[in-house]
Amino acid sequence: MLKFYENSSVLVSEQEQFERDIQIFINGEMNPIQFKAIRVAHGVYEQRERETYMIRIRCAAGGITPMQLRKVALLAEKYGAGEVHFTTRQEVQIHDAKIDQVMDIIRGLNEVELSSRGGGGNTIRNILTSPDSGVDPETTFDVDPYAIELTTRLINEPDSWNLPRKFKIAMSHNSKDSTYSQATCLGYVAEIRNGQKGFKVFCSGGMGARPMVGNELLEWIPDTQVYHVARALKSMFDVHGNRRSKFSSRIKFLWKKLGDDDFKRNFHEYYDQIKDDASLNLVLPVVENKANDTITLPVINESGDAFDTWKSRYVFDQLQPGLKSVKLPLKLGDLLKEDADLLCDFLDHIGENTIRCDRAQNIRLRNIPEKYIGNLYNVITKMKMTLAALPPFIGNMINCTGAQTCKLGICLPRGLSDAICDRLIRTDLKLDEITDFKVNMSGCPNTCGMHHVADLGFFGKIGRKDGEIFPMYNVMAGARTGHAGELQYAERVDEVASKYVPDFVHDFLAVWIDKKDAYKNNYIEFLEKEGKALIKSLCEHYRDVPTYEQNPEVYHDWGRNRKMTLDDMGAAECSAGMFDMIDVDKKEIEAQSEAVKVGLTGNALEESLYNIAFRASRMLLVTRGLDAKTDAQIFEYFQKHFITTGLIETQFTDVTSLAKLGLKAELVKHQETVLALGQAVINLYKNMDDSLRFKTDVKAAEATPSTGPTQKDYRGIACPMNFVKTKLALETLTKGDQLEVLLDNGEPIENVPNSVAQEGHKVLKKEQAADGHWSVLIEKC
Amino acid sequence: MMSLREDQIERYSRHIILQDIGGKGQEKILNSKVLIIGAGGLGAPVALYLAAAGVGTLGIIDGDVVDASNLQRQVIHFTADIGKPKVQSAKEKIEQINPDVKVITYYELFTSENAMRILADYDFVIDGTDNFPVKFLINDACVMAKKPFSHGGILRFDGQTLTHTPGHACYRCVFHSPPPANAVPTCSQAGVLGAIAGMLGTIQAAEALKFITGVGDLLTNRMMIFDAKKMNFRTVKVKKNPKCPVCSETPEITSLIDYEQAVCDLKDRH
Ligand code: HEM
Ligand code: SF4
Ligand SMILES: [Zn+2]
Repeated sequence: MLKFYENSSVLVSEQEQFERDIQIFINGEMNPIQFKAIRVAHGVYEQRERETYMIRIRCAAGGITPMQLRKVALLAEKYGAGEVHFTTRQEVQIHDAKIDQVMDIIRGLNEVELSSRGGGGNTIRNILTSPDSGVDPETTFDVDPYAIELTTRLINEPDSWNLPRKFKIAMSHNSKDSTYSQATCLGYVAEIRNGQKGFKVFCSGGMGARPMVGNELLEWIPDTQVYHVARALKSMFDVHGNRRSKFSSRIKFLWKKLGDDDFKRNFHEYYDQIKDDASLNLVLPVVENKANDTITLPVINESGDAFDTWKSRYVFDQLQPGLKSVKLPLKLGDLLKEDADLLCDFLDHIGENTIRCDRAQNIRLRNIPEKYIGNLYNVITKMKMTLAALPPFIGNMINCTGAQTCKLGICLPRGLSDAICDRLIRTDLKLDEITDFKVNMSGCPNTCGMHHVADLGFFGKIGRKDGEIFPMYNVMAGARTGHAGELQYAERVDEVASKYVPDFVHDFLAVWIDKKDAYKNNYIEFLEKEGKALIKSLCEHYRDVPTYEQNPEVYHDWGRNRKMTLDDMGAAECSAGMFDMIDVDKKEIEAQSEAVKVGLTGNALEESLYNIAFRASRMLLVTRGLDAKTDAQIFEYFQKHFITTGLIETQFTDVTSLAKLGLKAELVKHQETVLALGQAVINLYKNMDDSLRFKTDVKAAEATPSTGPTQKDYRGIACPMNFVKTKLALETLTKGDQLEVLLDNGEPIENVPNSVAQEGHKVLKKEQAADGHWSVLIEKC
Repeated sequence: MMSLREDQIERYSRHIILQDIGGKGQEKILNSKVLIIGAGGLGAPVALYLAAAGVGTLGIIDGDVVDASNLQRQVIHFTADIGKPKVQSAKEKIEQINPDVKVITYYELFTSENAMRILADYDFVIDGTDNFPVKFLINDACVMAKKPFSHGGILRFDGQTLTHTPGHACYRCVFHSPPPANAVPTCSQAGVLGAIAGMLGTIQAAEALKFITGVGDLLTNRMMIFDAKKMNFRTVKVKKNPKCPVCSETPEITSLIDYEQAVCDLKDRH
């Protein structure tokens, strides 16, 4: 049986622990934050709707067999939303599951050798490959076997599971670099030198709100070294990665911090130690690109215009003569259970190695014998929810889930994607001329929708008019992709209200399609010469937004029939989101404060002040591992963990209490205090690295073992309050007793032990933990 | 033992950090009861600092209302308080400074009649009055009730203060009896630099806190005197008078006396 990775018995035994943890959580005996840390590592995320979960299933190299896909669809129907969701990182997800069904899903996945372990968390994430690797006639060589074996190796190494941050790997099958190897932590690009298979190696790229283009780490390695490089980088990251501040914990930040030379030197310290160890070479599985030897399916011959159009759009020749690859575009990445069944029934006849997920949330079918293309067409026309009848441009659009399921979402890119589709198919634009044109949309500055690598990209922002807010998108353009080593991200050009984006896209594409030939299809040149100016002039054209009274539609986002509010934004589910979420709140505080100062009145002023208080209160909760379930709780947590701990002045107690009670009008009387609160939180954030903890360690904080010293966790408490607390704790002890306190690195460790000693106590031991914090053992004297 | 709430730990952190005070010392402060006699020039800073320090119960006795001429030095009263009983005005401010403090007000004069009853509830007494007869009354009452107190007096640019605790010199050990009425001007007649009230009042407040927490050496058997014109501070030793009419083994005075008040407008007394 074809497998895209091997689950180890260790992973399976971890699931038993996970099952117990779920039960403990359901019984109300585990803090939700602690549970979150556990479940995310098992690929289980909570959706925007409370107590509704999604499960992300690893598909190394984007591969899944028909038998596996059928099972996933079955599980999705039984326990979830009834459809399989295809993601931008070549994985599949089951949405809308309840927590008590999660284990049933995971066990179901195990039956077909699939796993959700590592779907999230600080670990080796799904390893991507070009979806047509090995079948594309332009394949340098097939990289799938490397990705498959590398996945199996890495996920079975215990030290892969507690990295400072997520570790993303991608492998491209040729120099067109369709996996964006420079936009990922570690990227390999296949290149043959002197007859020897090998790779160019890029490192430290990443998208997100602070994107970085990856650097060349190794100019070329023979293909035997794939594992050695990954292992060395992983070891280096494990040791040098910033665990204390997740703000800058991805490999891209480590590179930035060390600089080219230091980074490479450090890397080589690890790499040189192992690079000659041939026992570490990957033992590559054979991934055959062929159909079953005997297919007992009666051939269906299709003909007609529709069939021909479909064929010309979606069917491709393979490297293997007589076999075809087929793109199956999905609507918003969703595959219905009954559609999955239809498809898998057919593929069962063809073979196991027939499906890849691609990064545009579509399915790539491979190894289909030419004579069965009619059969496949027949199947696809029976499927209820594909975009196969439309030009490929439509299905190639990428969008994140946005505000629909993601708590960070500002806008709703799914709704927008539909709206653009509606708008474009009602025109006679020759979309078939721009098949590869990439329109990518994200609901917020995080790049789940990959707007950085778009030809025309959008990411959500908040627009404002007369104190009302409306959904808006930043417009990005001009990513340079398609050549390994030369990646450039798209740049922001302008912004346009969400409502007008479909018109904007239409107007822009009309010009591009028209001028495409004149520019010899050189889109970058078009952008430079007139495209950007065109974007600006179109944005200008759509700049004037009517008031809410004149046209409330502009204040509703696509796909949602009510006025945009920020109230339903919440804390990030993905651990990754925390810093960007902080940033979103920070920017919003700044923008709102600006608006207030400029002179808002009435309702708008009240809303703005409330918003400032709300975001100021929420902004840093995540750094204390707090996950407020309600708005009121946001204010409570803020008062408890920031005001009473001395991080934020007590003068802000009143305004946060008013905000908590929803007394927005009252806030107007305290305008200055509200503004000062916003500033105070932003200032605290600026000073944060050393003195705030980013991780809850509920166990450490609460554990008071019956034997041994009393323990207190004062991480995240700034000087001198940490000393004050230490001193108070010592007062409760009797002479000779021991106290162990946990302190942050920096000021706290420099000051507190000295102060304690000055008071005449004995400092017995100071130890630094792997994540940087200190444990100090004190004897009361 | 009570334990400090989180917000208290923060509010009083600068006390707790002091090696001599710590959490236990702060708890003592929170459990203490101090009576301030006179909510005027001296009483104002004393009340402000003791409130901020978290003294659990502050009693304030004063029979006057706020007058415009008070505002130059009696910093606990604001312009809008004119006409308001001083005890009421003070209470309002204290409650804003620190909700931990329980304020008990006595809108009356401190007299031989009410003295012992009122004193009984307190651990430490502040003499914030400005006339000799009441100062002697306070001294006598405190000695008899065995209550420690801080004496304080200001005039023009000068101030003096002494702390009495049982067993140490009392005010009468130093000054045998009040001067004849009218022989000495009260500050309302003689004038006083407003800031002097702050200088002396804060010394008295510090003495109260030292007494409560048991920290350091009190101004017992010492009188501190300063001249703000020259900014000259000195302490003079004073001895317990074995023949003191009130604190000796065999006192002459065994009941409280209301001496004749200096002749001045009662309304403008402090
Ligand atoms: C609750 C909020 C979020 C949701 C629901 C969400 C969802 C997703 C999903 C489903 C994918 C494809 C995942 C895969 O198959 O591995 C993805 C990819 C991605 N996410 Fe998120 N995400 C969220 C927050 C964030 C945040 C805050 C960041 C920023 C640090 C982020 C950065 C990315 C990036 C950069 C990619 C795709 C590009 C790539 O690295 O290959 N996500 N997101
Ligand atoms: S974090 Fe932003 S980009 Fe990512 S899914 Fe949510 S809305 Fe989309
Ligand atoms: Zn005496």
